Amino acid sequence: MSHLLAWIVAAPAIAAAVLLVLPASARLPIRVVSLIGAVVACAGSVLVALTYDRVAGGMQMPDDWALVPSLGIHLKLAVDGWGVALLLLTGVIIVTGVLASWGVEKRGKEFFLLLLVLVSGVFGVFVSQDLFVFFLFYEIAVLPMYLLIGIWGASHDVPKRGPFGFAWKRFAVGGKEYAAMKLTLMLLVGSAAILVAMFLLWKEAGGTSFDLAHLEQTKFSLATQNWAFPLLWLGFGTLAGVFPFHTWSPDGHASAPTAVSMLHAGVLMKLGAFGVMRVGMVLCPDAAANWAWLVGGVAVINVLYGALCAASQTDLKYIIAYSSVSHMGIVMLGAATLTTTGWNGAVYQMFAHGIMTGLFFALVGLVYERAHTRAIAKMGGFGHVMPAVACFFTLACLSSLGLPGTAGFVAEFLVFLGAAEGAHSWWAVPAVIGAVVTAVYVLRACKTIFWGPPPTGEFAHLTDARSTEWAAPIVLGAALILFGFWPRFLLDFIDVASHTFLARIAPFS
Amino acid sequence: MNLTHCLLLASFLFCVGVYGLLTRRQAVAVLLALELMMNAANLAFVAFAHFRGGPGQLFVVFALAITVAEVAIGLALVMLLYRRHDDTALDRASETQG
Amino acid sequence: MSSLQSWAALAVLVPLAAALLCVVLPPLRRAGKPAAALCILASLVATAASIYLLTQHEAGAVTRTEVPWIVLGGKALASIGVNVDGVSVVMLLVVCVVALCVQVFSLAYMHDETPSSYGRYFTLHALFLFSMNTLVVAPNLLQLFAGWELVGLTSYLLIGFWFHKPSAARASVKAFWMTKLADMGFVFALLALFVATRGFDWNARLSTETATLVTALLFLAVVGKSAQFPLHVWLPDAMEGPTPVSALLHAATMVAAGVFLIVRADPLFAQAPATCEVMLWVGSITALFAACLALVQSDIKKVLAYSTCSQLGYMVAALGAGSAFAGFFHLGTHAFFKALLFLGAGSVIHAVHSNELADMGGLRRKMPVTTLTFGIGALSLAGVPGLAGFFSKDFVLAQLEGKAGWIPWTMLMATSFLTAFYMGRVLIKAFGGAESAKAHHAHESGGAMLLPLVVLAVPALAAGFLGGVLAEWSGAEYHVHLGLTPVVASCLAIAGLLGAVMVFGRGRAAPFAGVLESLDRASAVDRTWSGLYRHVLLGVSAVAGFVDRYFVDGLINAVGYTTIESGARVRRLQTGRIHDYAMAVVVGALLIALWGVLR
Repeated sequence: MSHLLAWIVAAPAIAAAVLLVLPASARLPIRVVSLIGAVVACAGSVLVALTYDRVAGGMQMPDDWALVPSLGIHLKLAVDGWGVALLLLTGVIIVTGVLASWGVEKRGKEFFLLLLVLVSGVFGVFVSQDLFVFFLFYEIAVLPMYLLIGIWGASHDVPKRGPFGFAWKRFAVGGKEYAAMKLTLMLLVGSAAILVAMFLLWKEAGGTSFDLAHLEQTKFSLATQNWAFPLLWLGFGTLAGVFPFHTWSPDGHASAPTAVSMLHAGVLMKLGAFGVMRVGMVLCPDAAANWAWLVGGVAVINVLYGALCAASQTDLKYIIAYSSVSHMGIVMLGAATLTTTGWNGAVYQMFAHGIMTGLFFALVGLVYERAHTRAIAKMGGFGHVMPAVACFFTLACLSSLGLPGTAGFVAEFLVFLGAAEGAHSWWAVPAVIGAVVTAVYVLRACKTIFWGPPPTGEFAHLTDARSTEWAAPIVLGAALILFGFWPRFLLDFIDVASHTFLARIAPFS
Repeated sequence: MNLTHCLLLASFLFCVGVYGLLTRRQAVAVLLALELMMNAANLAFVAFAHFRGGPGQLFVVFALAITVAEVAIGLALVMLLYRRHDDTALDRASETQG
Repeated sequence: MSSLQSWAALAVLVPLAAALLCVVLPPLRRAGKPAAALCILASLVATAASIYLLTQHEAGAVTRTEVPWIVLGGKALASIGVNVDGVSVVMLLVVCVVALCVQVFSLAYMHDETPSSYGRYFTLHALFLFSMNTLVVAPNLLQLFAGWELVGLTSYLLIGFWFHKPSAARASVKAFWMTKLADMGFVFALLALFVATRGFDWNARLSTETATLVTALLFLAVVGKSAQFPLHVWLPDAMEGPTPVSALLHAATMVAAGVFLIVRADPLFAQAPATCEVMLWVGSITALFAACLALVQSDIKKVLAYSTCSQLGYMVAALGAGSAFAGFFHLGTHAFFKALLFLGAGSVIHAVHSNELADMGGLRRKMPVTTLTFGIGALSLAGVPGLAGFFSKDFVLAQLEGKAGWIPWTMLMATSFLTAFYMGRVLIKAFGGAESAKAHHAHESGGAMLLPLVVLAVPALAAGFLGGVLAEWSGAEYHVHLGLTPVVASCLAIAGLLGAVMVFGRGRAAPFAGVLESLDRASAVDRTWSGLYRHVLLGVSAVAGFVDRYFVDGLINAVGYTTIESGARVRRLQTGRIHDYAMAVVVGALLIALWGVLR
């Protein structure tokens, strides 16, 4: 099938365009059209995975349309091994995300429209081979988030105290508008850094082309790289939740509606890490080697600090949100090892964490919709009334703490191995300790919510998952186990790309 | 009479205009002061064109046309001001303050 | 893959298939009995396979099949498969037989459960059997680790089986956390081994330093899994689970996985004398310490739990003394008699509806078969000459002769006496003496519960005589010799039982009971751990949470605040008065003019 990648990117956008002409009152058609858009993109991704030649590797299924020839901007699409894995992830998450938000009543049309536009951008990033278009899609993926959280989000209370309490007097901290604004502003500052680095590289490469292949062939001077790489790391890293620029993530994920949290933590944060690796490290190999100590050191902080913060939270969504900060630290740690094992682990962790956190947020949304509270101290014994939710939540917990037999184990173990055999072996120590702290906070949450005597009073009549709500738990749960037992399916793709890209860095590290 | 005399006169007119602009509070007076400054410039144009040659006269024609338009808008603004405040004192029209 | 390995793979995969079927077919699971039948059928197949394997196995032969699992750059980074040798074949048989007995026992023991919970119980059992067999037949340490973690998971789920009880919920997470903490050691050991050898093989040749590092880290995991001092605190709490679960996981097989790991990784441990020295001491201390605590427990399951800690201490000490076979032999006999004891205790608990020894008493008349089989298990554990426990324990003690100035030997001899003493106490309190109120209505359990007891009583009686065969298979040396150790051990065992009759037969409390009880109540070790958890971990995390919300995020909000505030200040320049703007224009123009003149 020709132009497969273009169709994957376009399918959600076309569905969004169809939504535009539908009346807001057409409840079912809106959802069906959205689902079709998502399913087509997902099926396309599966098709890509099936047809991609993983022995040959490299960029496959290329498409090229000139957009602004005078500046060398092309709509150039192609997919590599990493892209295949992340396309699959995005496809699965958007389909389950649409199904999980079947019950969104408030401004349903606009909600699905923005969701589809956003996911179109995400698909675009993973297949763009032109830095400018890459950045364009990146922004398309980031910006709808502002509206999605600001309009459909949920607010909660945060005590305004602490050394910077004065600063909060001005803001509605804890409000969904605050969360949306903070997320957007922080990510835009990151984008500004990316933009600067992008033009820096474009100029030094002759100012004729944004083509990634062209930029890869250019040998940038060390000075340029040393400026461009930290900018790219911080710019993309903000989206990947790199400490200390992660604070948009807990508030944003906690405020966002279910499907948005799923997409954001599950897929969007991966855009950041993907950007750091695919653009930052591959285009600036010398600088990546120079700065690896910092990238890895900060990643280690992320892992431990995120896990510790998660352990102190009392709000269910915050626990999961901080766990994302911690797990994205593992991704960045794998990237910083600059070893194939570590890189494979990092990309595998992107996939595993995406699925796992998607499952988490789907279930949390399910619980929240029924119990109308996210304070875990108020919950208890929910396992009696929603056994399936309890089972799947436990499964997500197990993947989160890296239990063998789940995708999380393969990913984390590869990263640990990469760290151990890399230049800074000690990174493995805090990373493994972080996994143990993870066991503490996820299982404590699991115990508090689902175990204990049967719930009474307002919680006595909660129900288990129903109809479309089953999709996310079953699909994502099955994926966690499947890719835990059979890692080769994905690793073959990832590995061939890691080898190609790392070959550029290996001589320097 | 030479160029210097003409320019001195133009400068004098200009300074009078600036003084009026900064000190008068009535909108019509400010407009008059502006006209004065504009015409000082026109005078300089004409003087240069007369003693040194060049397209100065042409500019003056343009400037006059623009002045007419400006006065039309200015007077309209004065009318609006008057309707709003029953007065044409400019310092009362400070709604745009930050 | 040779036929032998296929049979081993069958023993792993059939329980997995049963568990998977129960998971993906909720109606089957919720029906209860069919799920139980399916899982027991799977265990039967696995047991049959393991028996066949045993009959076909040639002494000393090692065959192994591995398939690549994680492939990077065309090379297998990790592989999974089966390893068939003397150790794994015997262990497989022990696990399958005990599991089958326990599952049959559970059929009757758990019959009060709702069908869906009944189905869940057996699903978890099938999952456990799969995990344990994965661990047992593992051809490398990575697969062993996978099985290791999975049995930890099933242990967590089964301890918390009655998840409506807050105490069970607490006990299950505690067990998971304590073992997970120790499992860090396993992960680090795997990483160190991988860095040194690019593989996870336990036959690797390492430098002494690396070997010491790897084995010390592995031993840390063993301390957690096999409930050695000071990480033993989870095991007594784990008794919150159903009694058959305690029998299978927390006595016979799962906790013994730690010992099995050392037996498996013996080539590594043999290269690290320093680690062995530590093992010797940790094992001896645990044995003695846990035996002391077992003496004052009022809950029959807790007596047995501490006894398990104590016996695992024997095994670890034996391994520390350098004899993998002694540890393995004791593991095997212990699995049978301790499973028997737990199932016997389960039978009693089922009859009197209480775990407390005080509620029992005089059960010998009401429950003759249980009394007899429990008695066999108790005497075997006590080390009465001729029974299984005697041979293996004697062999362990013989390995310790002269080690570390005879101190571990003395400690374990003292433990032998204590073991006989506390088992005598249980026998007398539960089955001897007058009937208590609750015991009055007790009656013998049904056939499904008695059959496993009888089946397990056979190896508890006679497995000791298989020592020679077992040694031959494992390629180790074993001979019964009449020397100092067996004589002293026999005397101490009998003295302990007689002492128990003297003391408890007359209704007295144990000597030093006050001291021991205060030791148990204060449970300094347990309190240390909960203090570490509550104050250190949660304290640090509370600080981290505060710092993140009020400092890191605060700082970023302060940036936003500063932007807004400075904007608020600067905007005052916009007065909105035309004259101010005109003045600014004029002054600006003058300044520009001045600049033009001066330059």
